[in-house]
Amino acid sequence: MQATDHYDSVRPGLVAMLPRLKRFADVLAADRAAGRSLLARALQYMLAQQYLYQRGTALDVWAYSELYRQWRHELSSQSEPIAQARVDDKRFGALFHIDEDNYLDAPVIAFLGGLPPQQRLTLLLVYGDGFEHEDAARILDVTPETIAARLVRMSAALTDRLSARPPAQAAAIVETLYPEGLEASQ
Amino acid sequence: MTELSDELLVAYVDGQLARKQIRAVDKVLEQDDVLGARADALKHAHARLEAAFEAILAGEEADVSAAKLVDEEDGFWVPWRTFKFVVASAGLIAALGLAALGYGWPVSAPGLGSAPQFELPVTPQPSNAN
Repeated sequence: MQATDHYDSVRPGLVAMLPRLKRFADVLAADRAAGRSLLARALQYMLAQQYLYQRGTALDVWAYSELYRQWRHELSSQSEPIAQARVDDKRFGALFHIDEDNYLDAPVIAFLGGLPPQQRLTLLLVYGDGFEHEDAARILDVTPETIAARLVRMSAALTDRLSARPPAQAAAIVETLYPEGLEASQ
Repeated sequence: MTELSDELLVAYVDGQLARKQIRAVDKVLEQDDVLGARADALKHAHARLEAAFEAILAGEEADVSAAKLVDEEDGFWVPWRTFKFVVASAGLIAALGLAALGYGWPVSAPGLGSAPQFELPVTPQPSNAN
């Protein structure tokens, strides 16, 4: 049976990448409980619709895309989508594991918490997961040029914040919650 | 001071440039301390971002390990893993003991004893003789 074949290949792959999927969902939702809940719904959908997964494509790219698609789908049904994306600093800070040295990079965490979800994910995909710009673009449904533009803006903003240089203009790092088809051309 | 945009510097720091471009940027950075410091600051910011994302993953992996440990240690009086091992060992020892006492599986192969005999009931054929 075809569905069983796909089940055999997709499910173990998803299980193996569960910590990374959790991180993606948590960073997207900026909250552990909301992230877990989103991931559970997305995983149910992925397992039910796994025949949509095309062999040969990277499973992580597919799974992240589906997770992100689920989030956008749920966001579009909210009456106040921007309110949904507001970050509770305490909950967001709780996502970061404190190591033996009791060290927590508060300025970087505050910077990430202040970003819109799409920009947070762009940083996570490129610097956390090590994806190429093309794959990150595929996951977030934007062009690679948009990914590159976001990285430049956010890298400059973070570098300015961490160093003594005066911060970049606020307008340069503002982005909307909705898909930015026109963003790259601007 | 040479003009080198953040766009080019970020691409340089992220390893997104072609080899020729990398060499050209390297030359500029050697000669310009301000740009060199900016490139270093960008590298430093990226390293801190990587460390922050790694800290989240460390938490997620610790969660998964803890869940696995609880799963493995689950059981009534003894952990399931120990229980399963003891039951399997007891079964194996019992099977070997029974085999040694002559209670092995019945074997029917040519040269290893007689094949089971079945007697089929013979029903008399109805005769057509009048």
